[in-house]
Amino acid sequence: MPDFRPFLVLGLALGGVFALSGVGIVVLYRATGVLNLAYGAVGALGALISWSLINVVLLPDWEAYLVAVAFGGVVTLLYGTLFGPPLAQRDPLVKAVGTLGFTLILLGIMSWAWSYQAHSLILPTTQLGFEVGEVRVNGTQILGLGLGLVVTGVAAAFLRFTKLGVAMRSLANHREITATLGVPVRRVEAAAWLGAGLLAGATGLLLSTLVGLDIVGLTFLVIASLSAALIGRLESLVVTMIAGLAIGVVQACLTAFDSVGPYRTMTPFVFAIVALLWFGFAQGRLSRT
Amino acid sequence: MSVAEEPEVSAADRPRAAAVGTWLRATASEIERPTAIRAAVVAALFLFVLLALPGLVSTFWLQIGTTVAIYSIVTLSLALLVGRVGLVSLGQISLLAVGGWVAVRLGFAAPGLPFPLLLVATGVITGAVGTLIGLPALRLSGLYLALITLMAAAAISVALQVTNFPNGGPGFLGYSGALAGSVSAKLHRPDWLASSASFYRWVVVVAAVMFALGVLHVRSRAGRSWAAIRQSEPSAIAAGVNVTLYKLWAFALASFMTGIAGGLLAASAGGLTTYGFPAQDSITLLAVVLMGGVFSFWGPVVAALLLKLLPELLKNWGLPPDLLTILFGLGVLQVMLTAPAGLVVQVPRDLAGLVAMVRGRLAGTGPAEPAE
Repeated sequence: MPDFRPFLVLGLALGGVFALSGVGIVVLYRATGVLNLAYGAVGALGALISWSLINVVLLPDWEAYLVAVAFGGVVTLLYGTLFGPPLAQRDPLVKAVGTLGFTLILLGIMSWAWSYQAHSLILPTTQLGFEVGEVRVNGTQILGLGLGLVVTGVAAAFLRFTKLGVAMRSLANHREITATLGVPVRRVEAAAWLGAGLLAGATGLLLSTLVGLDIVGLTFLVIASLSAALIGRLESLVVTMIAGLAIGVVQACLTAFDSVGPYRTMTPFVFAIVALLWFGFAQGRLSRT
Repeated sequence: MSVAEEPEVSAADRPRAAAVGTWLRATASEIERPTAIRAAVVAALFLFVLLALPGLVSTFWLQIGTTVAIYSIVTLSLALLVGRVGLVSLGQISLLAVGGWVAVRLGFAAPGLPFPLLLVATGVITGAVGTLIGLPALRLSGLYLALITLMAAAAISVALQVTNFPNGGPGFLGYSGALAGSVSAKLHRPDWLASSASFYRWVVVVAAVMFALGVLHVRSRAGRSWAAIRQSEPSAIAAGVNVTLYKLWAFALASFMTGIAGGLLAASAGGLTTYGFPAQDSITLLAVVLMGGVFSFWGPVVAALLLKLLPELLKNWGLPPDLLTILFGLGVLQVMLTAPAGLVVQVPRDLAGLVAMVRGRLAGTGPAEPAE
């Protein structure tokens, strides 16, 4: 029996970040009906901008990180304001394909301005570390898991108890009726875009430290986070969080087995495919709000 | 529900009875003249591309032409799925890789198999794999189907990184690390296809056959059933269309075509590399297919040119090909917002509008209404 403890730490940290981005995806989908597939690309571009600010402009680290998070919020809000309303009445698939266009634009900008060469961004929390038993845990791993848990809790409470949160939930149920009741639909949607964008920026920073600052890799980690969101049926924040953690832990623990270890990055996709098939065949069609 | 709402029902989609009725009422010359002109244009273009082009361009551009022709089969398969049936697949490039893998594996397993037979066998096996991926389409629709194909594509590309393309090694996977440097993952071409020009011509002929297969399907019972499914699945069921059969048939046909393209790619000059089929290429593929237009058979041709010729032209002119990725992203958004039928419809319409406007200005009657 291999020693799983080091992998458990890695897995919980990665799973926390999957949960964090999964929550961002679910909140935006519930409020606007848009499945934002550009989530990873926004995070990656934010991380690259903060890399340039630190290494080229020589800005203090924390300012650069703030810029990355703010950039995520602003660029996502910009997309939401420009392309959200014209596509609002269309099929969810059309809205998702629109964000694929946004992804391509961001990917093009990144590979043009930063090229595919390797960059590295290490958050200062990585230097903080302590021993749990015999396993070394660093601050970024704690931050990943902690943010995942905290953001899930805060987002769930926000949707449950605040006026804006209730407006977002009612938008998810019926856009027209919500508008008739006097909810400022565009403003509520803008808030959801901004919130999801800020989370995307934070996710990008964490993932570039935990996984590596690789343009294509980070852009497509959105698919892994999406798996968690899909298992939560794009609805339940708590299930999304648990699924994110489970995917992270299983993926990391598979490293210990030589026979399946090389295939471990397939974990999120296999989880998602199984979940989609199960939803599809065991419980009838998925609802298409 | 389709990604792009079709502005009008094309002639091919109308029930055949209506077409026959029109034909009976119209005189033969009226109906045949445009069809004859169109057929003549297609035939002339095909003959030019097939016979004259290899003599006009260098080997480098001929290989680009070969790639364009191969990818036009892939864009055709996706355009059929998206435009005709309303199913969005984000896994077509991974399926292309599967086709390449199957072809190379068959090449090592049965070296004596004639090349055309090998291509057909590759198409059939890839068709089976694609149908398997398409099975969820029976229960999941729209967004969820697109996502499951994206997940399957991501899983396939991870698996491919680990297993590699076969290079004559032992076992089912047929890959041996020891041979990695000396044997490339490439399908051996028979002697009659050894030169670039002969292989190019063969690829163009195969692509033409695939387009003919597509046209035949769209004009037959399958195409009408697909149109019914695309417009409303419940009405299709009510009208007695076998939705299960025709959805799976669409996936099988598209995967068969993509498999054949994979086999051709395996035999082309560069061979296959595991990093040649990243998941983002499936997204770029969807982008160009939507930009080209999914309701016309010219769309996939334009899409293949955008995908494989344009980057080479940009490199030739000293521009970074990354600009294209940005352009494709903008193109998708533009298509989604304003031009659901793609460039093949939009450009002629806008040009006609421009010409009408300029004429109106010249005649001093002010801006004229754009011609529809």
